Amino acid sequence: MGGRGVRAIGTFAWSVVQDALHRKVFYAILAFTVVLILFTPLIPSADVGVQIDLMREAALGLTSIMAFLLAVILGATIIPGELGRRTLYNTLSKSVRRWQYYLGKYAGIVLVVATSLVLTFVVLILFVLIRFGVFNPGLAKALFAILLEAAILVSVAMLASVYFSPLIGILLTGLFYVACHVKGDFLYRGMTGAGQNPVVKAISGLFYYLLPNLERFNINETIAHGERVFEVGAVELLLLFAIAATFSAIFLYIGGYLFNRRDL
Amino acid sequence: METVLSIEDLHKEYSGGWRKPPRTALAGLNLVVPRGKTIGLLGPNGAGKTTTLKCIMGLIRPQAGKIDLFGGEVTGAGVRKSIGFLPEQPYFDLYLTPRKLLAYYGRLSGMHEADIAARTAFLLNLVGMGEEADLSMDKYSKGMLQRIGLAQALISQPEFLVLDEPSSGLDPLGKLQVRDLLLGLKGGGTTILLSSHQLSEIEEICDGVAIIHKGANIASGGLDELLRPREEYEISLEKSPPPAAVELPASASWADPAQTRLLVNKGELNEALRSLLERGALVAEVRQRRMTLEEYFVEQVGSEGWEVGE
Repeated sequence: MGGRGVRAIGTFAWSVVQDALHRKVFYAILAFTVVLILFTPLIPSADVGVQIDLMREAALGLTSIMAFLLAVILGATIIPGELGRRTLYNTLSKSVRRWQYYLGKYAGIVLVVATSLVLTFVVLILFVLIRFGVFNPGLAKALFAILLEAAILVSVAMLASVYFSPLIGILLTGLFYVACHVKGDFLYRGMTGAGQNPVVKAISGLFYYLLPNLERFNINETIAHGERVFEVGAVELLLLFAIAATFSAIFLYIGGYLFNRRDL
Repeated sequence: METVLSIEDLHKEYSGGWRKPPRTALAGLNLVVPRGKTIGLLGPNGAGKTTTLKCIMGLIRPQAGKIDLFGGEVTGAGVRKSIGFLPEQPYFDLYLTPRKLLAYYGRLSGMHEADIAARTAFLLNLVGMGEEADLSMDKYSKGMLQRIGLAQALISQPEFLVLDEPSSGLDPLGKLQVRDLLLGLKGGGTTILLSSHQLSEIEEICDGVAIIHKGANIASGGLDELLRPREEYEISLEKSPPPAAVELPASASWADPAQTRLLVNKGELNEALRSLLERGALVAEVRQRRMTLEEYFVEQVGSEGWEVGE
């Protein structure tokens, strides 16, 4: 990829950030998350030691929801939206390739999610410091894992949006999210359970091996409880990054290929 | 003659969806656009004009046929740097200002930042939007957006312009400005392919037309060769004779209620002139009538489904 290609991708990515900054839904989701985080100390708890863990877990859970909502909404709406408004025609009639557009939009959405996570991180770390007197930069690990999972969700939402409406795209990505979180339990049991219908076994097995295990990215509880039981090290984070990069690349490749062949 | 665009036997069918038959949009379309010429694409609604333009721009993939642009492949992104495209009723992210929008398209066209700034200023003045360059476009009228659309099509100084209904949504003054702008570009050597419902626009701007009907090019050529002279003359009068005082030949008929323009067949022209002059009429001009584009179009396509622009 030459300098022009990188520049085109960067231009598309930045246009997504600008677009998000002009969307009310972006601010609504961000503001709602911050407000809810500020209310987490109201969760009833027995003692102060437990309260900070519960608060951190709830806040990270809320942050995950915010990031996933942003990822899925932006991912599923960006292409159908530009097609519906016909802005895509002006854009793709310039000397850019469709995959540059696709990759640029993906990078832009991930950048928007990352920016939101950084803002939430600042709120979170200040809040924990002021409320409990604890400086907790380790929370960044959980947010990094959330970002990686969101990056996979963006690639899936964009893939769905190549041919489906935003609503169907959001529903399909939601299904993907649920399937990938239950695969270790539900799909595994479906695949291995004694006396199970062979068709169910085959389908469960297929999805078990095809889908990423998104539950791996859920390190909120571990981080919220101060990594007392299990420490999340650089190796674990690198592994998560590799998994996210691999699955994102696969979904981006399929999505980009389909988008390249699609009539606009 | 060197050609900028050559289309051979283009076929495109859209799937009709669940349990619906496919719809044929292009059925063996051929088209040639010579360098430096302005060609108008005419056709009834649904004839395949927009599909043709989208195929040229690589937005739609035809099932069969060949599109040759500057001797390259249509899907190549590089070749699009030499083409400016204005889609029908263009729309933009309205929170942007025209200056930012053109800068965005300039970057996508691979232009340097310094060139973008200069070109943007030039184009905004060209389309009469220089004063609104830094206002967000959310309050813009359809006509203003159309002008910005034209500016974005011109951002990379294209050799070839592909315009889908460039005057759509413009008021009479706006249409005049677009016409002047296109005539200026044509004068500068830009090759233009424009689809339009405005027959007067086509007649004034274009060197030739291609009439598309049911996905095929049913007639094409230079306007002078297509709009052949008729065996009919028009006599324009500076002073009309008193009503009912003149005995006119059988083929003669007044073209207007004020009786200042008389239409008459070639064989009876002298007789009509003599009769008018004898009754004290003052003749200003006598000219052979030429077929209008509208008449030619209706002759080719039939009046069915045709909506003539104002």
